[in-house]
Amino acid sequence: MLKTLKRTTTAIAVAAMPSLAAAQELIVLDWSGYEDPGFIGAYIEAHGGTPNYSFFGEEEEAFQKLRAGFEVDVAHPCSQSVSKWQLAGLIEPLDTSRIDRWDDVNEVKESFAIDGEYYMLPTDWGTTSLVYRTDLVDASKMDSLQVFLDPEYAGRVSLPNNVDDIYALAFLATGVTDWTEATQEQFEAASAWLRQAHPNVVTYWADGAELAQLMTTGEASVAWAWNETPTTLIGEGVPVAINREATEGSSTWFCGYVNVVDGPNSEDLMYDFLNAWMEPASAEYIVNEWGYGHGNQTAVAALGAETLDGVGLGPVSAPVLAQAPLDNQMREQMIVEFENIKAGF
Amino acid sequence: MMKRLQLDSDARRGLSQISLPLAFSVLLLAAPLAILLAMSFWTQDFLTLDRTFTLANFKEAWTSPVYRTLMLRSLKISIIVTVLTVGLAYPAAYYMSFVAPNNRKALLVFLITIPFWTSYLMRIFLWKVILGFNGVVNGSLMGLGIIDAPLDWISYNQFAVVITLSHAWLPFAVLPIFVVMEKVNRSYLEAAQDLGDTPFQRFLRITLPLSMPGVVAATLIVFIPTIGDYVTPRLVGGPDGLMIANMIEIQFKNANNAPLGAALALSALVLVSSVAGIYVWLNRRYLQSEGAA
Repeated sequence: MLKTLKRTTTAIAVAAMPSLAAAQELIVLDWSGYEDPGFIGAYIEAHGGTPNYSFFGEEEEAFQKLRAGFEVDVAHPCSQSVSKWQLAGLIEPLDTSRIDRWDDVNEVKESFAIDGEYYMLPTDWGTTSLVYRTDLVDASKMDSLQVFLDPEYAGRVSLPNNVDDIYALAFLATGVTDWTEATQEQFEAASAWLRQAHPNVVTYWADGAELAQLMTTGEASVAWAWNETPTTLIGEGVPVAINREATEGSSTWFCGYVNVVDGPNSEDLMYDFLNAWMEPASAEYIVNEWGYGHGNQTAVAALGAETLDGVGLGPVSAPVLAQAPLDNQMREQMIVEFENIKAGF
Repeated sequence: MMKRLQLDSDARRGLSQISLPLAFSVLLLAAPLAILLAMSFWTQDFLTLDRTFTLANFKEAWTSPVYRTLMLRSLKISIIVTVLTVGLAYPAAYYMSFVAPNNRKALLVFLITIPFWTSYLMRIFLWKVILGFNGVVNGSLMGLGIIDAPLDWISYNQFAVVITLSHAWLPFAVLPIFVVMEKVNRSYLEAAQDLGDTPFQRFLRITLPLSMPGVVAATLIVFIPTIGDYVTPRLVGGPDGLMIANMIEIQFKNANNAPLGAALALSALVLVSSVAGIYVWLNRRYLQSEGAA
């Protein structure tokens, strides 16, 4: 009896730990949804299957999980996390000589160099911009980010529950287009702007699916959104438009893969995975299917202006605030201030 | 000699019986609480913990208007939810215990548990659908021509949080009241009637005081967890429906300020215990005045 119990519990324990059972399978800590095999066709072909994925819903969750000792080989944070994770000793530099298409990688890679070593391979990017329901609001007014303050849209505005996207909006609206150079006064002006916008907000959306639902029902008719959401909605026939050329501009963000310290598996697998991501086929897939940009800028450019404009990734004439890595102190301040604003202070 | 040995074996049996739950609660309750307490006196600068003793976190937790507002809002929402659930649960339990025929009671208890068949997260999403902009409530009211435009005040606010929480916690309030009512000696009721009490007087003098322990249990079962509820305000709360647990999470995660999070958590704990303590004390006084305790 006891033996059976022991055997069963061992079996359960082993089943619950795929990392031990399959020691040669890469473990990826990723945003949910990124397990899409279309991104890593070459890896699947070479290794006969996808890696093991573990998911997170937001970067801070991933950060705390890694700090608590969760062992993975590679993780997928965005631009703001690189320096924090590096300071916490969670990630180690990439060997760029092992990334076949390093020269094609978007020049944003330079932002993730610390002391001359590269810490993140930028793989995917997108834009955050003004999005509205064409049938519910007057399109002629949707040419400025100040619409978020307009009492006409009270209770019809949805803003991101994400400190980077929201401050990108606030800085743009108050005239700052490079936030790495922002002064304390500019930060305070941006916060004051957000405080003014807060009463109009019906809810702060947490992910694309939530925003899609809000916009489909019309509960939110004006939003600050990732381009993936309107791209999907338009595909579903919802009357939505993106305006990346509002007077004050729009924002871009970048995410990518980092090499986690002491990964349980061989780094060869990790570089196979990263190289598979950089394939032009992956670039084509993510742009067409997800409406996101790709870290291989040569491959993205090869897709042609028409494709890129179609998914909202083409060049624009209005200012663009790139969500480049910020000074950690400034970002901490933004986090605390955003929480105060959300609580109504 | 013999006696001592016996005592020892008794003590040993007692100890062996208690040791497992004791170890369990020390390891999983007392130890984390001790860590939380220690942490609340430290400070954190970005990623490094400074272990110098300070009361600054508690000072901030109790003086900063944000935390005070969130704390009072949590208290308010939790009290409303408790009053609603216990208020609705009492008549339901009364019906189940005093009115329903004996052979139906098991079925009724079973029916009460139906909401538990679905995960709590699912029920929150259901409420989002029901209260949503094009949801069931708005759709029906508009279809009936009662309103022209969807009602805004029923979703993404404190109202939605109260509705969702009340629905979720109702069964937890019915069951303890029902169990206590089942134990009320029916001959007291007959005696009261024989001595000339009207049904209402009988209720006030017999049923209510004797079922009070169930009401106390139900109140505490609902009040204590709802004040610290995290997922409901996060999903249906909108901008003005956030509660203290959401802020505690933010401090531990995004804001990299675990010490302040610990101080907030402990402050919430103190708040809950004192409100619950006052309630239990008031209730004891009521029962004493009724001669039931």
